Amino acid sequence: MSPTSIPSSPGFSRRTLFAASAAGLAVLVAGCSSPPADPREQVTSKQADQLAAQVAVQATLVAAFAAAGSADPALGAEVTELASQADAQLTRLKAASPGSSASPPAPAPPAGPDARGWLRTQITAAADSHATAAVDQSGARAALLGSIAAGLRGQDGRLA
Amino acid sequence: MADDKVPGALDKGTENAALSGALAAEHAAVWGYGVVGAALGEAARQPAEDAEAAHRTVRDQVSELLAGRKADVVDSKGAYALPFPVLSAVDAAALGVVLEDGVAKAWVRVLDQSVERSTRELAVGVLSAPEVRAVGWRVAAGKSPVTAPFPGLPD
Repeated sequence: MSPTSIPSSPGFSRRTLFAASAAGLAVLVAGCSSPPADPREQVTSKQADQLAAQVAVQATLVAAFAAAGSADPALGAEVTELASQADAQLTRLKAASPGSSASPPAPAPPAGPDARGWLRTQITAAADSHATAAVDQSGARAALLGSIAAGLRGQDGRLA
Repeated sequence: MADDKVPGALDKGTENAALSGALAAEHAAVWGYGVVGAALGEAARQPAEDAEAAHRTVRDQVSELLAGRKADVVDSKGAYALPFPVLSAVDAAALGVVLEDGVAKAWVRVLDQSVERSTRELAVGVLSAPEVRAVGWRVAAGKSPVTAPFPGLPD
């Protein structure tokens, strides 16, 4: 018998996630007025509101990357990839919460070398917020928020 | 009695199945880090040993959780097929990335499949450490980008 391959986890299939996301999207667009096609994606109004709040959290983080880059251009150059990933996270969150209209206040970092520490604080705060929200969600929304939180922890580790 | 379970609905069964998948991934990671550590020089072995210890802790936690639920507790396999030969420190780091990414996928699936808030708390708590470790291994393996925006989710 051949040994089990690494990794052995079934993980997520792209099809599963897309199906779940599409169902979740339909629910959010309909304002929860009709039952979703996929019972896994039933969402309460509280969950929909919370997901919209996480869009605002992520938008604030995206703005923080830009602000940190303005305050410390060398840091801005260093975190180009991280900023791009934060923006990709925002895009996927918006897709999962189409009713959200986030316009966060522009964060103001300290100038110079303190910008790195300030940006790490912003990243950690966003990760904490998404992780907390993931626990109150379910299905694909919980998976998305938990994944983004983990990705941001990785970003913080990179900047340490 | 008619089975009134809605196809695709989340329940304790989906949750336990996902936890079993996470347990299997943790077993694989514990085994795999033995390979990673062996391929690294003694001076560079500590991160692999720390990672193995961390995965053992989570493995034991999940095993205990499933046993308490009278659910299937999957055992470690005797051996696992490596995705590529591990002949150097760079190979070892690349295997570290594979191990951590596999664990991340398993825990994201737990988030997707869970019905209990406490299980999601567990999953969220566990999920970050694999990505943080994966960042270090990607650097050591010379991979780019070194961070992942969606650990455990498909690209």
